[in-house]
Amino acid sequence: MSSLGTLPDWAATAPALILLGTAFVVLLVDMVAPDEQNSVMLSGVSVTGALLALGTTIWYLLSGTGQPGAGDLDANGAIELFGGSLVVDGLSLFFAAIITSVVLMVVLASYEYLKDLPNQSEYYSLVLLAATGMVMVTFANSFVTALISIELVSLPSYALVASLKTNKGSAEAGLKYFLIGALSSAIFIYGISLIYVTTGSLQFDAVTAVFENGGVGELSGLLGLGVLMIIGGVGFKIAAVPFHFWAPDAYEGAPAPISAFISSASKAAGFVLAFRIFVDVFSYSEVTDAIDWVIAFQILAIVTMTVANFAALKQTKVKRILAYSSVAHAGYVLIALAALTGGADGAFVLGSGLAHLMVYGFMNTGAFLFIALTEYWDIGRQIEDFYGLGRQAPVACGAMTIFLFSLAGLPLGGGFLSKFYLLWVSIEGEVALLGIALVANSVVSLFYYTGIVKALWVEEPAGELEITQYPTGLYAAIVLAAIMTVLLLPGFGVVVEFAETAAGMVA
Amino acid sequence: MAVSIEWYLFLSAAIFSIGLFGILTQRNALMFLMSVELLLNAANINLVAFSLYWGNLTGQLFALIVIALAAAEVAIGIGIILTVNRNFDNIDVTEAATMRW
Repeated sequence: MSSLGTLPDWAATAPALILLGTAFVVLLVDMVAPDEQNSVMLSGVSVTGALLALGTTIWYLLSGTGQPGAGDLDANGAIELFGGSLVVDGLSLFFAAIITSVVLMVVLASYEYLKDLPNQSEYYSLVLLAATGMVMVTFANSFVTALISIELVSLPSYALVASLKTNKGSAEAGLKYFLIGALSSAIFIYGISLIYVTTGSLQFDAVTAVFENGGVGELSGLLGLGVLMIIGGVGFKIAAVPFHFWAPDAYEGAPAPISAFISSASKAAGFVLAFRIFVDVFSYSEVTDAIDWVIAFQILAIVTMTVANFAALKQTKVKRILAYSSVAHAGYVLIALAALTGGADGAFVLGSGLAHLMVYGFMNTGAFLFIALTEYWDIGRQIEDFYGLGRQAPVACGAMTIFLFSLAGLPLGGGFLSKFYLLWVSIEGEVALLGIALVANSVVSLFYYTGIVKALWVEEPAGELEITQYPTGLYAAIVLAAIMTVLLLPGFGVVVEFAETAAGMVA
Repeated sequence: MAVSIEWYLFLSAAIFSIGLFGILTQRNALMFLMSVELLLNAANINLVAFSLYWGNLTGQLFALIVIALAAAEVAIGIGIILTVNRNFDNIDVTEAATMRW
């Protein structure tokens, strides 16, 4: 169809296929050589697979696969597969780029983190399978494929969070994540069943067609309930506030690379589903008369930002502070859905959310990988344990400073510009209250972010602190994330351009 | 049709509510899993009943997928509950609470 050249249409799903294939190769390597010492081979295969998937995604994005052609701007250009159950367009490729970048950093950092742990091949293959699911979520164009791919993200994630089997914290985190995840996916499925009850179809296009011609008549109450339940299911994946209870525990108990993976990539996958479902399918007056989900997202956004930032202030463990900061960032991105009041251009509003997720993907992954580094050094989790670390490991601490200030929204990384765009969006969309909440919460968040930075550089260590090992893979991943975070400050214009083209395809 | 369609909705809503009640009150992780099964099967009743009502097979096929997903979820869940049991000697969901706030 569109600019894949001589490749068949199904080749557009290559990022997902490569990740899936890599997961199987990892298992195969383990089957052929099942000794515990081949971790170089396993992580080498995983890193290669992630690199290939990222490369393919960027190639597709640059060559304009599934995007409006330069010649005819009206043509949508999206590639539909399997009778329209999957769709590959700019939005999916943009999110696939975020997800594959995060996967690359996570598998790179996992090599040293997993050094002496058993079950490494299972770990890598589960990470890659979850990543396959996340990329599939971006392709989903029907409630069936959306559910299957969301579950393909969730099920490996539960196992990964609990993967330190003899660690009490990891087991507890896994249990909490699983119980709340199972509940919210059940609610999500019930919501989908109510959509089917009212419209008689599950494919996004077909559901949209029902709203366009005739509507659902007297069943609009059931439709509203279904939409509300789908908000719940999506809210769990993005960890927005009333559905966030699992997040701090799961992020704290999980191995730190997995916390990075879930808090960045899984959240992005949740958001792409939210964008597609709510902007593409539920934007008709038929739905908004039954339930005004824009108002629902406005409330969610404000509550998420405020609760998460004030909860973060009370924390003493650095990993838990970052966990709450990650919840707060879900609130910031929700502005992109909450500002769809018709006052501003839809593509601009959504595009700002997309751009923030891109920047967030690098800075948040980097911050959690720094925690992975401290867990590797085994220096403790409390903020006091980080005192004076800056003198021992200046490169890693410098990178962490960039991540934290960028997360706070200071002009040291792309986080400054993306937050500025979100503020602009909230003013254009005539929901200034959201903008005020964004600024106020960024100020609050500055307290705990600078607290960590101060611990790293200013405070004196209480006892002896001697760091002798500087693991290459972890450092490479952290430095990569830091470079990208900084580069996204001057390069933000390019990202926004891609993001707005991508968002224009659904908005 | 012998049974009118709204009764299926009532049945499914009732089963959903029973499942939700179970989740809110049960402390045993296995009972929690069974309550989640009730929620999923409530959705399946909707899907199968309205598959007949709308005259297409989408709902029935989706119900099959949901059954398969439920089985996968239980497999993972029991694995995690086993790990928790080894660490805490208990599968009471309120016992595994070392992390707070």
